[in-house]
Amino acid sequence: MKPKGIIPGITALCAILGMLIGVQYNTVQSQAASAAGTDNMRLTELSAELRKEQEEKEALEKQLDKQAELLATYEAGESDGAALESLQKENEKLRAFAGLSEQTGAGIIVTMDDSDKDMGGDKNAYLVHAEDILKVVNELFVAGAEAVSVNGQRIVAQSGITCAGSVITVNGVRVAAPFEIKAIGDASVLQAALRFPGGVVDTLSPWGIVIDIREEASVTVPAYTQSALWKTTEEGEDAS
Amino acid sequence: MKIIVPVIGLCVGILLGIKSGIVLPYAMMAYGGVGILACLDTVLGGVRADMEHQFQMRIFVSGFFINGIVAIGLVWLGKQLNMDLSIAAIVVFGSRIFL
Repeated sequence: MKPKGIIPGITALCAILGMLIGVQYNTVQSQAASAAGTDNMRLTELSAELRKEQEEKEALEKQLDKQAELLATYEAGESDGAALESLQKENEKLRAFAGLSEQTGAGIIVTMDDSDKDMGGDKNAYLVHAEDILKVVNELFVAGAEAVSVNGQRIVAQSGITCAGSVITVNGVRVAAPFEIKAIGDASVLQAALRFPGGVVDTLSPWGIVIDIREEASVTVPAYTQSALWKTTEEGEDAS
Repeated sequence: MKIIVPVIGLCVGILLGIKSGIVLPYAMMAYGGVGILACLDTVLGGVRADMEHQFQMRIFVSGFFINGIVAIGLVWLGKQLNMDLSIAAIVVFGSRIFL
């Protein structure tokens, strides 16, 4: 029993063991063969990753589209901005023209003071009158002055220079001698406009009225500070 | 002479296994490996027992299957516990085979 029983039993078990080994070998081989070493799990993993990447790409493309749209809007906005800028420039120019902004430039400063002479006669003749200032300002504008102020009062379209009793008012503000008239413009032309024979200087100097004209490289004319509120004019017609 | 028969049996078994074309699922590979190790241990243990003239067919056959089942059960337990107990099986059976 002993020697006989051993061999078939061991052989049978060895056969079973061999089958196990063979199956295992098959399995390992098939795993190694499938997808060049990558197994099914890896494959599904990769496909999932691919799907994820594709989704991400789509999302990024969507974002790109959005950004492009935004950019287009910005560009449109920029052109709007350019229009706005030109409008602002226009506005600035108009404000300068209307005297609503301070202006600086080359020009002249005319200083007028009452005469210290007394040659008899009417004392009024030795004083600087509103008409004198008006004449000077008028001459300056005629000579192409771009901005004129009298004692810090900007001369604008609504400005009035008048004599109110013993004082002179400019823009409704009292001013007193000495009068400092600032004008921006071609200095030599402005000067010539005042000094020409029979001109303002010529007619006033015999009375001893001091008219000093200085050329300045930089003259600063202040802005019109009075209220520009119109009460009577109706807006909309030619108000702008 | 008598040793040649089990070897032939083993070879036939291997050929049968390969020719059968049976492919275990990927997840079963660890079980298969450990099972083979356990069975190999039993077979070699049987040979040794035979050399020492202590061979008993009952123990050999029962050992063969119980070893395999225990080894596979151990690996399964390791998977449930997220612990690679197949290494323990490999170490134990490997040491038993070679020592």
